Amino acid sequence: MSESLVEQGAVTQMADEPIIFCQNVNKWFGEFHVLRDVSLEVMPKEVVVILGPSGSGKSTFIRCINRLEEHQEGQIIVDGMELTHDVRNIAAIRREIGMVFQQFNLFPHKTVLENITLGPMKVRHWPRDRAEAKAQELLNRVGIPEQAAKYPGQLSGGQQQRVAIARALAMEPKIMLFDEPTSALDPEMIKEVLDVMKELARSGMTMLVVTHEMGFAREVADRVIFFDHGRIVEQGTPDYFFEEAQHERTKLFLSQIL
Amino acid sequence: MAASNQSKHNIVYFEEPPTKAPPLLAVGPLAWIRDNLFSSWLDAILTFLGIAFIIAIITTFLQWSIGDANWFAVLFNMRQFMVGRLEVLAEWRVAVLVLIVAFASGLAWAAWSARISRMVIVATAVIIALIFVIPPIISAVVPLPGAYLVAGNQSVSAGSLTQVAQDQLAFVGRSGDKVTFRIADEIAVNDQSLENLFSFSDNLANTLRATAATGLATHVRIDEINALLASEDLTERQRTNLENELGRIEPPLTVTETYSINQLPVLVRVLEGATLEPLAEATLEPGGDVFSVTLPSDGWYVVEKTMAEGEGLAILDTTGIYPILHRSFTRGEELGEGGEVVSEAGRVEQFVRMTDNYVLEAPQPSNNGTDIPYSTIIEFKYRGLRPLGDYLSLFFGPLLAMLSTPVLVIVIAIALGYTAGLLADSLFSPAEKPRKASQQSATWLLIATPALMFILVAGVGDILPLTDPRRWGGLLLTMMLTVVGIIGSFPIGVLLALGRRSSLPVVKLVCTLYIELVRGVPFISVLFMGALLLPLTNPALSEVPGAYRAMIATIIFSAAYLAENVRGGLQSIPPGQEEAAKAIGLNGLQTIMFITLPQALRAVIPALVGMFIGLFKDTSLVAIVGLIDLTGITNAVVAQTEFLGDRREAFLFISIIYFVFSYVMSYVSRRIEASGAGAAMAKRI
Ligand SMILES: Nc1ncnc2c1ncn2[C@@H]1O[C@H](COP(=O)(O)OP(=O)(O)OP(=O)(O)O)[C@@H](O)[C@H]1O
Ligand SMILES: [Mg+2]
Repeated sequence: MSESLVEQGAVTQMADEPIIFCQNVNKWFGEFHVLRDVSLEVMPKEVVVILGPSGSGKSTFIRCINRLEEHQEGQIIVDGMELTHDVRNIAAIRREIGMVFQQFNLFPHKTVLENITLGPMKVRHWPRDRAEAKAQELLNRVGIPEQAAKYPGQLSGGQQQRVAIARALAMEPKIMLFDEPTSALDPEMIKEVLDVMKELARSGMTMLVVTHEMGFAREVADRVIFFDHGRIVEQGTPDYFFEEAQHERTKLFLSQIL
Repeated sequence: MAASNQSKHNIVYFEEPPTKAPPLLAVGPLAWIRDNLFSSWLDAILTFLGIAFIIAIITTFLQWSIGDANWFAVLFNMRQFMVGRLEVLAEWRVAVLVLIVAFASGLAWAAWSARISRMVIVATAVIIALIFVIPPIISAVVPLPGAYLVAGNQSVSAGSLTQVAQDQLAFVGRSGDKVTFRIADEIAVNDQSLENLFSFSDNLANTLRATAATGLATHVRIDEINALLASEDLTERQRTNLENELGRIEPPLTVTETYSINQLPVLVRVLEGATLEPLAEATLEPGGDVFSVTLPSDGWYVVEKTMAEGEGLAILDTTGIYPILHRSFTRGEELGEGGEVVSEAGRVEQFVRMTDNYVLEAPQPSNNGTDIPYSTIIEFKYRGLRPLGDYLSLFFGPLLAMLSTPVLVIVIAIALGYTAGLLADSLFSPAEKPRKASQQSATWLLIATPALMFILVAGVGDILPLTDPRRWGGLLLTMMLTVVGIIGSFPIGVLLALGRRSSLPVVKLVCTLYIELVRGVPFISVLFMGALLLPLTNPALSEVPGAYRAMIATIIFSAAYLAENVRGGLQSIPPGQEEAAKAIGLNGLQTIMFITLPQALRAVIPALVGMFIGLFKDTSLVAIVGLIDLTGITNAVVAQTEFLGDRREAFLFISIIYFVFSYVMSYVSRRIEASGAGAAMAKRI
């Protein structure tokens, strides 16, 4: 499915409205200008992979999208709602965005099931039965249905990250953000997480993925974006990006990691 | 082999080495002893020193405890140690409270702990059976020590004092008790035998013993000097000194001869206490038989002992007559069905027999308006080093007898709670959470317990008459201060911790100020402020009982420490937790309630429990502002004339109580730490 999307070429044809719209986003940490005029549009069902050297601002950027970080200039509109200081907007946007972290950030004092049902029950006010049914369905989907009663500390890294994905999906988000979801994993566990992410991409989820997994980017991404020093240096389809990248910085980066 | 020479870095090991049992000295108790106790010379020396030290301490303690300590100070004042001066009528409410707590612990056990093994049940049953069986065995096998009483009409002068024997002595007896009298011939053979008059004895008997002992010591000294003077090698000066000393010494008289002890018959009559009707009488002859009387009912009795003829003294060896402690309590108001006062608040006069804590409330016998003296503890002391038998029959047996029923009832309450938990689980718990029902009910009961404690102890309206907080004391008050301190300071401390981490500057400033101010002041000052300064600000506050003011001071004080502990816990939570909570859409309050605070509290359980144990022990400081908590009541106990000088016994006893409760708290905390997510969280994510 993703291949057919790539073949269609222009992403703008997929849908009429971008679900994420960023224009000239700027952010500073004190004096340090960490995001510089970042503009990006993401269409529904699009999978965007963000690449870039360490410290280039990738994490900061995607964390701005669900307001874990605050941008100081420019505009971010998610699903038609602009991110401002309005707390209700922030809450509404966070309901639509799921996020998966490098360090999993599961709640260690809650069982796997409780980790997943917490959001739906407290935020969406689902009854317990419905939340638990959903959780069990998601655990099946990420391939660990038998771990529901365990605590995160009793799971392997790969299993924990899959629980984290299930937890994010439980809120039935329209967008999923991934910040280096496999970087803290042993090589043997990376595949199981990537498989889940691929399946998710195929099912039509809008995804924004920061990763160093080039194989994943080639196979799944509709578009690859390259960050350097807080700005977007180059973007394009995976084929373009990995074969014909123009910018010196991109070429240097690709030569170092491929 | 030639081939391997050429490529000696490429080797494949196809054969697996066999798995062998470890060498004998690497496992087992011997290995443990070697590795842990004698792994080096220094270790061995330390081990031996340690063992020697422990043995020395234990033997010293046992010698003192068996031979010397007056455990009556503890046995007698048990009520005070437990509830202070609480009204007698409210005692049952404390008992109910204890049973509720026991039931709750049984329930909690079923909810969170491993199933009780058959071993534990059998062991408990055996221990309880022993507690019940040992006292009767002791009293059957080891009789209570007798008491030596002096009868007669000859006065004894010791130093400047002249004493005479009491003709009448009141004592407390129970139905079926056998009281025996006998002239103690073997005691008065000569002064040497008189010197060994140990066991209970009245003052006059003790005076005779002491006089005999001094006389004997003087004789020894005289012999010593004469022996020295007989020898040749003394200087002139030494010789005159010794002669002077000899001249000053008055050769003492022999007590047995001076007072013609146990020479004449003694008339002994046992009278009914209330009516002074004679029950039995006999004339005891020197060298004669034992006269014994079986008492018909519980109550006061009087023994009358006089010389049948002539002038002299007799030392009687008696059994069944023991010291009595007089104490008085406030009963409290008892309300009837319609709320009318059934019995007034009033004093209860109690006479307690020392050897078995038998309590009598009937008035002391009197003869034509004059009270007949009873055998008080001071008059009627146990003298000399106690043999093991007397220790067992006087203290060990009565202690177990005192504990047996309460222990049984408490164990039954625990067992009921446990069974209730099992039952609830088998009836109501879903299959995937087999302990849900017991856990929920245990949680609710534990939450309700402090409130129940307050209702039961303090009383409410008409149903349970209010008690006087000034009478709360002993362990009860200590527990109340601790529980109220913990429960009251908990929410305040958590709010302070959150406030201090708040991004609002004013909130942060106020919380920080409070915490730092309180932490900069010793607890004792906070207590004094509560007790003395607060009433100055508003006179109405001096009406508030001291116990309540101490509770407030405790809350104020421990909230600050709790806040800092909780803040430490909050700081230890990785920021990713809060981010993840936000990312799934939880708001600030939800994040604190469901994510950060639970983890923070769990992380600081050891610190919190350490603090609570500290709080429990620090409540002893309220004794200084005049409250009679466990420490305060102990000070009061050892200030009674009967127990002056028994500080060691009393303080040792309350130390054991403090220790037991502190240990239980720390045990429970370890269980909580290891429960639920605790085991999994130990491996941090
Ligand atoms: N809270 C912060 N305060 C100050 N500087 C920060 C903060 N967070 C990130 N930075 C800085 O901003 C820059 C961008 O950080 P960011 O985490 O977005 O980089 P990244 O591209 O995700 O790098 P990596 O691949 O190592 O995760 C870095 O130089 C980092 O040191
Ligand atoms: Mg990053």
